[in-house]
Amino acid sequence: MTPQTDTSAPAPADPPLLQMRGIVKRFPGTLACDRAELSVRAGEVHCLLGENGAGKSTLMKILAGSYQPDGGEMLLDGRPLRPASPSAGLAAGISVIYQELDLLPDLTVAQNLFLGGDAPGRKRSERPLKSFGFALRKRRRLTAATEVLRRLGADFPASAVVRELPIAAQQLTAIARALTGEARVIVMDEPSATLGAADLASVFEVIRSLTARGCAVIYISHRLDEVMEIGDRATVLRDGRTAGVFELAETTQEQLVAAMIGESRELVNRTERPRPEGAPLLEVDRAHIPGVLDVSGIEVRPGEIVGLAGLGGAGRTTLLRALFGDGRAAVTARLDGRPLRTGDPRAAARAGLALVPESRKEQGLLLGLSVARNAAVASLGRPPWLRPHRLAARLTRPVLADLGVRHASAGQPVGQLSGGNQQKVVLAKWITRGTTRVLLLDEPSRGLDIGAKADLYRQVRRLADDGVAVLLASSELTELTANADTIWVLHEGRNIARYDPRTTPEHVIAHAVITGASTGATP
Amino acid sequence: MTPTSDTTAGSPGGPAPAAAGAAAAPAAPARRRSTDLIVKSNLLLVFLALCVVATLLAPEFLTTRNVANLLQQSALTGIVAIGMTLVILTAGIDLSVGSVAAFGGMTVALLLDHDMNILLAMGISIAAGAAFGAAMGGLSAYLSLPSFMTTLAGLTAIRGLTYLLTDGEPAGGGSIPEGFQLLGGGFIGYVPIVGLIFVAVTVLAALLLRGTTFGEYVYAVGSNKEAARLSGLPVRAVITAVFAISGALSAFAGVLLTSRLTIGQPTAFEGMELDAIAAVVLGGTNLFGGRGGVFGTFVAVLLLSVLRNLCNLLGLGSFFQMVVTGLILVAALILNRVIEQRGARA
Repeated sequence: MTPQTDTSAPAPADPPLLQMRGIVKRFPGTLACDRAELSVRAGEVHCLLGENGAGKSTLMKILAGSYQPDGGEMLLDGRPLRPASPSAGLAAGISVIYQELDLLPDLTVAQNLFLGGDAPGRKRSERPLKSFGFALRKRRRLTAATEVLRRLGADFPASAVVRELPIAAQQLTAIARALTGEARVIVMDEPSATLGAADLASVFEVIRSLTARGCAVIYISHRLDEVMEIGDRATVLRDGRTAGVFELAETTQEQLVAAMIGESRELVNRTERPRPEGAPLLEVDRAHIPGVLDVSGIEVRPGEIVGLAGLGGAGRTTLLRALFGDGRAAVTARLDGRPLRTGDPRAAARAGLALVPESRKEQGLLLGLSVARNAAVASLGRPPWLRPHRLAARLTRPVLADLGVRHASAGQPVGQLSGGNQQKVVLAKWITRGTTRVLLLDEPSRGLDIGAKADLYRQVRRLADDGVAVLLASSELTELTANADTIWVLHEGRNIARYDPRTTPEHVIAHAVITGASTGATP
Repeated sequence: MTPTSDTTAGSPGGPAPAAAGAAAAPAAPARRRSTDLIVKSNLLLVFLALCVVATLLAPEFLTTRNVANLLQQSALTGIVAIGMTLVILTAGIDLSVGSVAAFGGMTVALLLDHDMNILLAMGISIAAGAAFGAAMGGLSAYLSLPSFMTTLAGLTAIRGLTYLLTDGEPAGGGSIPEGFQLLGGGFIGYVPIVGLIFVAVTVLAALLLRGTTFGEYVYAVGSNKEAARLSGLPVRAVITAVFAISGALSAFAGVLLTSRLTIGQPTAFEGMELDAIAAVVLGGTNLFGGRGGVFGTFVAVLLLSVLRNLCNLLGLGSFFQMVVTGLILVAALILNRVIEQRGARA
């Protein structure tokens, strides 16, 4: 498809360095990339923008060779590019620096730089790990690493141990490693997420020197200020498609936001429920972690579903975990008017809180154990403390049936269930307990197909109808607008605005999520 | 829809991936049950086969006296291995069992030497073992130290403490009361009392694991510590408790040895931790926690001592025995892994 808003003049004769055309990538139930287009010139910083789930990371993983596309083609320097693996992508000149730096913290910078041995295309003299003699190899590796760091203008020695370096220097190390190969295209995934302003400036300097040497940098960020500062052009993705390509010098932030949100989405089909009345059940006066989280004034009534919207790292998970007594946050909250003491998850569960954590396999389930044992594990702590299996079977049978968990038998290992049914088992764990008054849901629909999502949210609404107060964090705004009674937008650790999804179009909320400006908020 | 309707392969009406999962599911439990049965009984089968081979090779193997001896020798390692099973089920490890056992044996000898009541003396020794275990387990649970390290520290420190009790000399020589000696050295008919104690400890541990909430928590913690914590389980208390149980059972084994030898030996049970761990792993308990049980350990303990006994009867030296034991362990691990992978594919 052709971009909707192409304000750029077509580049003269000079063909783009990298072209991705009509890229399609399907996952069960979703189309992550739907004929996405990306064209990057040599020597430019090309920003890649889009909401959560717009397809940015999928597109970059296809470029890097981590995913294989279901359709479309890629050209690097006019030649077809189809990396079968990340190492093939690296060999072809595609280098990705991920947000979680994948450095080995206990090795030196030099060791990290040349970890993979020799990258193809490098001169023999630059192959420190394959040369003879340990001492010689070590020295040559150090020399080569020092040379790379010097080119980057880094002010730390190649012999430094990565763990002891500040984050900015670690970031530079990751960039330096990307440069030890013959990188033509360097992808940076939200480098600013972990960097302070001063550090960011030095990373920007490096980016400029890279592009000056003819590399192309694809820069992914949610922060539009940065994008305007460092970027030459930007491609905006929306719902897996390219929604526009912009010449940033001639573009305003508002235009970018508009392209990211799209104007078409208005009020979503909601399953209307009676508006919850009565006094708030959970009142969060303040949840505070210096420099990370500062949320105040969130209230949830019995039967109310309060959505938490925000970009990755906006503090949704941190807030829910803080409320569940996990982490170092100072929390002042009341449950039913009485102070809520959440010292640890055990105390929180006793107080009537329940957390469905963001990663069900790592944090939610006992994967090797059976469905019934998983669903009952939070409910066995009662006298006479005997015959847990019989108790588990008795307690969970009606709950599992009620939730419609599809399983062969109560004794089936929970790891064999589909994702949606696994998530329902996590939910069943708290329903079985029977004391849950506040349900904290952290990305409950992650990895579920559309049918399973709908089913899950139907169950959540039913719980709310029974008087449970629900705090629902999701990066899918559509899910929030469709299910929540109230939506709070979190931005950089603060709750900045509250919206009523019955009356507010989704793009207004999306605007607040992206920019952090609280226009049109419900008082 | 009801869960039972999913046992028919069709499962209409659901979204495609869920339906596929449900359709694949029905065959799995039955196969899994049979795999479980094989895993459990393969050890038993190997054990019985070994007994038959032993009888054929060495006619004196199946004499009452030899079997009684065998049971007596394996009982103490067995009692320690049962405690170790609980620890390993929570994904921990207890290297201090040998030292704690020696400490328990020495203290009971010293206390009896001072004419203390037998039960009281035993109680104090066992409580000391439990306290050591709780301390090491507590350090591991509350300060997030690896139990490998806390119990390695315990292995050294408690052994040293044991030597300090008597400056390295044996304790209680000649002053151990007769009634107490019966416990470790006595027989009921042809059956050694320690053998009965081993059986009783195994059954009690099995009841604890399968029949109480505590046991369920042990499996939950071993299966996924983080998920257990976020389910509101008292994870740290459970970990502390299993180490306390392991310490208590170790000290109890020490008490029984003192009873049999009629003397407290500070050098007893050196290297016992490795025998115990070997038995637990051979018995099919997963070193990373969450899977296994005490009956496997029970059979594995017997199997290892039959093997040793057979080598003795055949006049093969102890060096040879060590090699054979090592090879058997490796073979058992490979066998378990193969069966496990088959189960995973099913």
